[in-house]
Amino acid sequence: MRSIWLITKKNVRLLLRAKGSALIVIFAPLLIVLILGLSYNTTSQFGLSIGVYAPSFTEDVNSFITTLEEEEFTIERYESSIDECVEEIKMGKVHTCISLPESLSVEDNTPREVKFYVDPSRLNLVWMVQETVQGKFDIKAQEISEGLTQNILTKVAQTQTTITETSGTLSSVQSEAAAVSGITASVKSDLSILDLQPTTSDFGSEVLKNLTGELKNAEENIQKSLERLETANMSTSDKNVIKRYLESAAESLSSTDDIDDNGTSTSAKSVFTNIIDELNATRTKLSKASLAVSDATPALASSGNTLQQIQSSLDSVLASLNDISATLSAQKVTEAGTIVSPLTTVIEPVREESTYLNYLFPAILVLVVMFSSLLLGTTLVMMEKNSPAYLRNFFLPIRKTTFIISTYMTNVILIVIQLIVILGISLFFLTDTLPQFPSLALMLFIAASVFTFLGMAVGYFFVSEETGILASISLGNIFLFFSGLILPLEGLSPLLRSITQYSPFVIAEKLVREVFLFSTPLEAVWLDAVIFVGYAVALFVLIIILESFMHKHLVHKFLRHHHKAHRQKDKRNKGRA
Amino acid sequence: MLLKLKGVTKEYRKKTILEDVNLKIEEGDILGVIGQSGSGKTTLLNLIAGFIEPTDGEVTYLSKVTNEERSLTKNLHKIKRHIGFTPQHNSFYPKLTVKENLWHFGKLYKVPSAVLKNNIRNLLNFTKLIDHQNALAEHLSGGMQKRLDLSCSLIHKPRLLLLDEPTADLDPILQKEILHLLQEVNKQGVTIVIASHQLDSIEMLCNKIAIVHKGKVHSHGLLEDIQKPYLKEHFTIKMKQGQDKERLLARLKVLPIQKIVDNGHSLEIYPKDIQKTMNSILEIIREENLYLHDLDMRKPSLNEIFEKIATGK
Repeated sequence: MRSIWLITKKNVRLLLRAKGSALIVIFAPLLIVLILGLSYNTTSQFGLSIGVYAPSFTEDVNSFITTLEEEEFTIERYESSIDECVEEIKMGKVHTCISLPESLSVEDNTPREVKFYVDPSRLNLVWMVQETVQGKFDIKAQEISEGLTQNILTKVAQTQTTITETSGTLSSVQSEAAAVSGITASVKSDLSILDLQPTTSDFGSEVLKNLTGELKNAEENIQKSLERLETANMSTSDKNVIKRYLESAAESLSSTDDIDDNGTSTSAKSVFTNIIDELNATRTKLSKASLAVSDATPALASSGNTLQQIQSSLDSVLASLNDISATLSAQKVTEAGTIVSPLTTVIEPVREESTYLNYLFPAILVLVVMFSSLLLGTTLVMMEKNSPAYLRNFFLPIRKTTFIISTYMTNVILIVIQLIVILGISLFFLTDTLPQFPSLALMLFIAASVFTFLGMAVGYFFVSEETGILASISLGNIFLFFSGLILPLEGLSPLLRSITQYSPFVIAEKLVREVFLFSTPLEAVWLDAVIFVGYAVALFVLIIILESFMHKHLVHKFLRHHHKAHRQKDKRNKGRA
Repeated sequence: MLLKLKGVTKEYRKKTILEDVNLKIEEGDILGVIGQSGSGKTTLLNLIAGFIEPTDGEVTYLSKVTNEERSLTKNLHKIKRHIGFTPQHNSFYPKLTVKENLWHFGKLYKVPSAVLKNNIRNLLNFTKLIDHQNALAEHLSGGMQKRLDLSCSLIHKPRLLLLDEPTADLDPILQKEILHLLQEVNKQGVTIVIASHQLDSIEMLCNKIAIVHKGKVHSHGLLEDIQKPYLKEHFTIKMKQGQDKERLLARLKVLPIQKIVDNGHSLEIYPKDIQKTMNSILEIIREENLYLHDLDMRKPSLNEIFEKIATGK
């Protein structure tokens, strides 16, 4: 037990005395916690940059944009076309594009369509964008849905009020109609008792017709005789006599009531008598009818009034029904689906749908290049530093840069071989990506250079190989953690988010994704590429400074160790003596 | 003169390691730099190699082309081609073969391929590594590795070869082997500067010595010149009971004697020139019937000189 404790104590002591190890053991966890704390200790929203396109930025659209801006999203407005925004997604300048309709208010049964344009290769971001931004749309859709439902409910309420009002009118119409019905029944019974049937069917009309005809003929003949008499060559006295006779006949004919002993006149008389009787009977009936009609007239007048009221009420009901009909007709949104989901969202990928390998391939490539380059860079420098030949190299007539470039070249050759193998194998899976390979290779070469120099800088900075490798792996992990592959960068605190934009991994992945997935021409990404090359140059200069510093440090260390070794040897010698 | 140090001072972390060093290294010399641990001899070697720069003073070398003295620091890149350096520990690539190591360093010294091939062959023969030329350096024995290390330092045919503890950690046979090798190298016209603790080896190999003590070059020059101040040439005469010491002293005082130490029953006599006074002293001893207890005429070894300097006696 004592031995275990002693050895443990010794191990701890050695660990703490080795500066690199102490740094890793004590400060690495602190650093990690600090970084994570700084990264995610934020309540601010995801730092999404959203491009919004609308045919015209109406009040409705602007109101929605304001809602988004309130959530700390950065909004870019695109007025010319959505394609401009889609290109910005490819360049990584915006995270998503939203194509909005001219107005978000729903006026017919067609729901408003909102299109999201997302980069499917940024898998975790796509979900985040959908979840975050769509949440806002859901709220907006709910608002609109509520508005529509409220509108319908208002109309239903109005209809209900109108119906309630109309039902009163209809009740009075009903009672009035019942009253009219009673009156009508009474009039009907009154009138039903009227006997308007003739007592005889024949008043000797034929006889009267013949008699009348003959009388007419006789009158005509008398008239003709009178006319001839005027022109007859007779004396006036004769004429007057004849004329008198004729006129008397005519007079007789015209006053047939005076005929008493004529058989003809007798039958006519009886006819007339019958007629008179009949007429008397008819008069009696008519009197009764007149009485009945007189009795029915006020009732009918009352019924007429009632019917007028009914007509007026019905007019009112009709008007109400017309109003209801008009109100309901005004409700243009009648589809239940539209009312429930007035806004529909459509996700449009900015590139053709492809396999997950396609999406992940740029990140995988950069990941391989980063870790390989970092570790190789560190290992090669460490190998050289820890090599027995290291000291001899200082006496060689070779410039420092020659060694640095040689190490870099070694690394690049190995990485290039790795890349050839990886890209060669990938062709089996990603057969259609061959045209992008030259640009891809160039970007990966730049990335390999940056990470190699970074790995070399780590190698020059740390003393022991173990610490150097550990530092390289840690550095790689930090880059990976803050790359957006594990957690979206947009979830970081704003300060760190802006810093991570300059992470070599983020830049490399962006460049590779653009040239590989979107076939972006090099002219479009030259600025990022130049910045990346700038990194490589800056790191190269840093390495020269570090190497120079390390040279002095190593010389001093060499001298110090040398002296120390001699002193220890002297002590040993004295001890032996 | 090949190299000269003029008033060179080196400070390290505000501590003076070397102070006002003035030293000349002549063409063809084998200069041994000795000193206590931490005395500054490795620093001196590194200054000569240009590995570190002096804080003050100047290291110059004589250009063979212009026959002018030039600053080492300012012309380091050029002078490096004429210097070979063998550090205490082997300094080659263990995972390369003997031949690959030589080829690698030869090419870095910009030796033309044809010349380099010739140099490698000669060196392999010279260091007897020809049979192991394709063996990995890490598989060689300790002695062979040391020879390979030496070969790497000689591959570009330097004018000056600097060695730091070349025989440290080697068994006596290997030490001898390496020393022999260095003598052979020197015979080929290579000036050698060795910093070592192996004083016997230095004494055997070097024609010139520089003793570094407490950051200063205490003594510098030919070995005989270094030894001179430390020559222990004296007589010790024992007196018998009743002998007249005063008379004896009176007789000795007429001789060229530096000092006489009276120890009671014996006298230590330090003559100014032992060769000239020896006969006279021996005559007095015989005449006075004295007993010659001790006569020391040996030259002090480097070890003794070094010890004297180190202990300050």
